[in-house]
Amino acid sequence: MTEIVIAHLYPRRMNIYGDTGNVIALSRRLEWRSIPFRVDLVEVGTEYDLLNADVVVAGGGEDTSQISVAHDLVARADNVHAAVDSGVAFLVVCGTYQLFGRRFVASDGSELQGIGVFDADTVGGDGRMIGNAVVATEFGRLVGFENHGGRTLLDIGQAPLGQVVRGNGNNDSTGEEGAVTNNCFGTYLHGSVLPKNPIFADELLRRGMERRHGGVSLQQLDDTAELAAAESAALRP
Amino acid sequence: MLRLVVAVSLGRLAGFLSRLIGRGGSAIPGLVAGKIDGGVIDKLVASIPGGVVIITGTNGKTTTTKMLVTALERSGKPVLTNPTGSNLERGVATVLISASRRGRIRGYEMAVFEIDEAAVSVLAPRLDPRLVVVTNLARDQLDRYGELDATAAHLGIAVDAAKRAVLNADDPAVAALDVGRTAWFGAVGEIRRTMPHDGVLYGTDGPDAPAVEVDGLLEAAEPEDDGQRITVAVADTRVEIALRVPGAYNGYNATAALLAAAELGVDPIAAAASLEQMSPAFGRGQVIIFKDRRIKLLLVKNPAGFNQALRLLVDAPHPAQVLIAINDNHADGRDVSWLWDVSFEDLQHTEHRIGTSGTRAADMALRLKYAGIESWSEPGLGEALAEVVTLSADGETIYVIPTYTAMLSLLDLLLPGTARSAAWT
Repeated sequence: MTEIVIAHLYPRRMNIYGDTGNVIALSRRLEWRSIPFRVDLVEVGTEYDLLNADVVVAGGGEDTSQISVAHDLVARADNVHAAVDSGVAFLVVCGTYQLFGRRFVASDGSELQGIGVFDADTVGGDGRMIGNAVVATEFGRLVGFENHGGRTLLDIGQAPLGQVVRGNGNNDSTGEEGAVTNNCFGTYLHGSVLPKNPIFADELLRRGMERRHGGVSLQQLDDTAELAAAESAALRP
Repeated sequence: MLRLVVAVSLGRLAGFLSRLIGRGGSAIPGLVAGKIDGGVIDKLVASIPGGVVIITGTNGKTTTTKMLVTALERSGKPVLTNPTGSNLERGVATVLISASRRGRIRGYEMAVFEIDEAAVSVLAPRLDPRLVVVTNLARDQLDRYGELDATAAHLGIAVDAAKRAVLNADDPAVAALDVGRTAWFGAVGEIRRTMPHDGVLYGTDGPDAPAVEVDGLLEAAEPEDDGQRITVAVADTRVEIALRVPGAYNGYNATAALLAAAELGVDPIAAAASLEQMSPAFGRGQVIIFKDRRIKLLLVKNPAGFNQALRLLVDAPHPAQVLIAINDNHADGRDVSWLWDVSFEDLQHTEHRIGTSGTRAADMALRLKYAGIESWSEPGLGEALAEVVTLSADGETIYVIPTYTAMLSLLDLLLPGTARSAAWT
């Protein structure tokens, strides 16, 4: 099999909540299956064609970082849309998830333009939503930690990632968490989310690999430690 | 004046009653007095002849405070200070009230307070500090404090409020706080490179540390027994100190403390001699003998601090038993995502045997699995401590790396019958 390419978007600027763990999880799960891979780091200003990647991962960051990232994303919006349309798998968390919607309107009225992969708007609100969260999805129960002030509202017709079982998810009213367009997944879950949710991690790999590497069946791994961590996290306040 | 006296007396009474009924009494006098006289802190502070020094920053506050207090006291200045667990507004108010009689602080020449980054912007303007020391700035418990930029803003208010600042020249986020009244500390390149600041670890849009002429320079730090031998140049004097606390980061703390002491008029040679006598602060490299084992406690709160603890493990002369105890109570930070930012991969080339414990033992075990490191896991702290003792031999050193509340629970097991308050000093 040819090399699987994981593109890590903005590893320096958008990684404040431990989201680097998602890249670690994907890498190890390929390595344990002896599937060759590499990780490309894509920073603000890096020239890069996302169509050459199989899985793209991005995380959350500081407000100041989010602004410079927003400008960079807008500049590569066409390329992101092309990659999403062609089936590249994306996992975008928190701050990057917000920018994959149409816009982020902060509480002071200032607006940050997004790239509209998701039919969604995010508005700043009073009080952050912080805590362990559990979400029911088609890949089973996801367990993670949310920490965000923005409230994301999906348009009717925009699919969420799942329904909140515990915590807040996209906002404090609709009971939805995350968004899915084609193979692009947005979520507020940190934790990091992929290590503790191996079924979701493998689904992301499988979908990403399918486009260029044909029908993929991933060898089953021993996920006892992963599921134990999810189990204990789900029970914590 | 009468109102202040009444407020303080009621506060002291509340503390006494609370201790009487066994609730510890730590922050209660501050709480009661604060309700009666909102200005209680300001008024008591004005009665301290030598003024107030604030120590703040992400890591190293407790050790640096202890070092500076030690240096000042050995030079003959009675110093009022706060225990590390009381570094928020109420705790500081409580310490001030407990040291007061009839509305004045009695018997102390100066005060040195360790202050939490989240409280320092409120407290610093009220404490009218003559000096503020900022150790470093790194991401820490983001579920409690919000983001790093917000913490920098808090520290900036403290520096603005102080007549003079002692700042870390090697940490760009701290150096950016300079408003021109700064004495700088730093280390030679060889040491600085082993202590990457947050910007190097994670990347920031900010500039690198400015090239400033430092006033206190850590020139060398060589591991030695449980501690290290450091060389520091401060105020045109070069001193060599056998420190009883390990790690280059404690070399930085000592350099900050020596520079602050010099700023306060203490001779560096006398200050250096006093640091040699100082035992580690609670949980900061402290060694406790337990069932014939040497338990070395290394408190961790954030990725920068954990990486420093890992460096000690990588440099350890012999393979050892290690117990990592991760709790996720409020005081630890509820979010354990930060464990994924710690470079546990560095342990791959060591032969330490590692166990995980605490409420998030399973998360820690998972992080180690993804770092390619085998571990055993036992969530119960008592059971895990028993296990790590069983796995080790008489006289061996066991490294115990806990988060804050895990450390408190372990202390009850390691030093039964000793009040926690005794361990703070």
